[in-house]
Formats: sequence, C-alpha cells, structure tokens
Amino acid sequence: MLGRWIRFFIAIAFGAAAGVGYGWLLAPSPPAENRPSALRIDYQSDVVLMIAEAYAADQNLAAAIARLAFLKQTQPVEVIQQAVNFGERYGYSDADLQKMRALLTAVETLTPLVGTSVP
Amino acid sequence: MKERRGSLYLLTGLVLGLAIGLAYSLLIQPVQYTDLSPALLSTADKDQYRALIAVAYLANRDLVRARARLALLKDDDPYNALAAQAQRWLAEGKPVEEARALGLLAADLAQAQATLLAPTVATPPAFTQPPAVTAVPSPSPATTFSAEETPSLPSATLASPQPTPTRQTPFLLRKRESVCDPALGKGLILVYVWDAQGNELPGVEIVVNWEDGENRFFTGLKPELGLGYADFAMQEGINYSLRIASGGEPVFNLIAPTCTAANGETFLGVWILEFLQK
Repeated sequence: MLGRWIRFFIAIAFGAAAGVGYGWLLAPSPPAENRPSALRIDYQSDVVLMIAEAYAADQNLAAAIARLAFLKQTQPVEVIQQAVNFGERYGYSDADLQKMRALLTAVETLTPLVGTSVP
Repeated sequence: MKERRGSLYLLTGLVLGLAIGLAYSLLIQPVQYTDLSPALLSTADKDQYRALIAVAYLANRDLVRARARLALLKDDDPYNALAAQAQRWLAEGKPVEEARALGLLAADLAQAQATLLAPTVATPPAFTQPPAVTAVPSPSPATTFSAEETPSLPSATLASPQPTPTRQTPFLLRKRESVCDPALGKGLILVYVWDAQGNELPGVEIVVNWEDGENRFFTGLKPELGLGYADFAMQEGINYSLRIASGGEPVFNLIAPTCTAANGETFLGVWILEFLQK
C-alpha cells in the first residue's frame, strides 16, 4: 500500500515537472504580455532619443510626454535621466545628448516638486 | 482487475501533477521577460514603436538611422508595415502628424530602394511632362507590389532625394479628366502631385469629402505607381470633393463616371487629377 502511494506521488511529480517545463520553456507567455517597460536599457534609451528628436523639431511638450507614456514607467523624468546617463556612458553624440537633456529640462519644469515643504 | 486500478491511479497522479505544474508555470509564476528587444513587443506596441521611429525621422531626416531602428522590429516588409500603418492610423483617428510621418518614411524607404535598384541612372533626364497616365499599371487599391517588381519608377523621381512638400505653397489643379479605361481601375480617383521642379511629391496629405463623411490619405504609399501618386475608391452615385490638405484649389463634383465596355457591360470609370505646386 505504501509503495502505491509513493508511486502516486512520483507520478504527480513527473506531471508537475512536465507542466512546469511546458509553461516555462515551450509555451511561455505570449508577446501580448511583453511590455515596453521590459525593453533592454539601450532600446529604452533609443526610444527616449526618438522622442527627444521629435521634441527638438516640434517643441510639442504635450506630445513628448504622451509618447513617453509608451514606456509605461511611472516617472518620465527618471526614464529620461536614465537614458541620458546611458547615452553619456556609451558615447551618444553630443547632438543627441543635447536633445535628450533639452527634453529632460522641459519635462522637469512640469514635474511637481515632491517632498519640499510648503510654508 | 488489480493491474488496471494500478495504472489508473498512476495516470490520475500524472494528470494531477500536470495540472499543478501548468497552473504554477502559466498563472502563479509565469515567465517574466526582461531585457526585451523591440521585435518581441506586442503588435500594438510595435505600432507605437514604428510611429516613434517615423516622427523621429520626420524631425531628423536620417534615413540610415530610421532604417536601423526599423530593423529592430524585424518586420517581413518594413515598407508595407509603414504604409499600412499610415492608413490605419488615419482611419483610427490617431495624430495626423504621425500618420504623415509614417507615410513619408514609407515613401522615402521605397525611393531609396528604387535608387539602389537603378544604380546606372547617373543623370536623370530633366522633367518635362508627368508620366503618361496610360502607362500606369492597373491601380487597384487592393493590389500590392514590391519595389523589386516595379523598377519602372519615373526616372525624374530619382533626381531628388527626399523631396519635401512645402506646406505654405499651394497646389494648382492642372488636369481634371474622367477616363473610361478598366486598365486604370474602376471607380477610383487617381491623384498625382508634383512640385514646381517636376519632382513627384510623396507624403502630401489629401482630403476627400462627401455629404456625410471625410477621408484623408497620402501620396507615396504606392511608390510602384509613382511617389506622387495616391488613389481613392469612390462609391457609385456619391458626390465627392477633393483638396490638398496644405492648400490649393478644391475640386468639386467628382462622381464616379458610368462607362460602357465594348461587350456592353457597364463599369465605373476613374477621375484623374493632377496637381502642381506653384
């Protein structure tokens, strides 16, 4: 009787292993689940650069902020700052960095100051 | 009988384990992707990414950079993806500027491709006349060609890398003609737009109005028919007016002409409208 239970649990373990293997390796979550926020940092930085390039041309801050929402990050300023840091570290051209910094400055002016005491 | 019962409980255990494993791996702890490439985004997010590439291109006109970015999406046919999205963007009421950027990038990609395919054209002939309408392949809206299939782009277009319509300069209607030729299509408005130098202009926004509707489209989305070409499918009996969005004289009373073929059958003819930038 005990051997029967052992075999039963071994069967469960085999089934569970097969199920996990299928779910993690063969049929992982579909692309619809993939979010732009999970893009690699260099791709995210390029997205910010694209938005900065458009902003440099049209000076449309509302459109730029709406486009930054594509990355689905809570703080646009952080996303741009992260992209600027990445660009500085990995040798973006001065012209590109200038556009990104201009966008950063423009977005920062709209961001409410958090944590500052109000008299 | 005892042996069958033994097999059944093992099978039950296996199925139970499988269910537990699937629930865990798909629902409780699904695979979380990090460090994605743009090619792995959902279709909707890829569309957004493509639109960003296009608006950046509109700003910097760097085709090499735009092409490198498009390559990240791994579209089978980047040109068709852009052209289709431009039309879809308009239909869905997305920003017109983004739709225009998508259309312009599609047109410039096609033009660059055409230039690569015709490397022997060193000095294109000066523009004298627009391409004869009768030489245009059947312009059915549903027909799609690849640039490779249609190397016969008018050579005048190769002379001007990335022509840009000047928004402030109006367009003059220089030809308006109804034609009964099934080879040109049925029930279409065929629009051709040139700049003052005779270069075909892609990315020109055209507005069509009728009694209870409006549609917008762009030249250059069917580069195999000409970079300054665009068409619109009319409904029988509807009275349309058409204008270039950036300015110029509107064209009124465009009703699909009823034509009779040699065998007695009737079909809808086409309107040909040619605009020249002043």
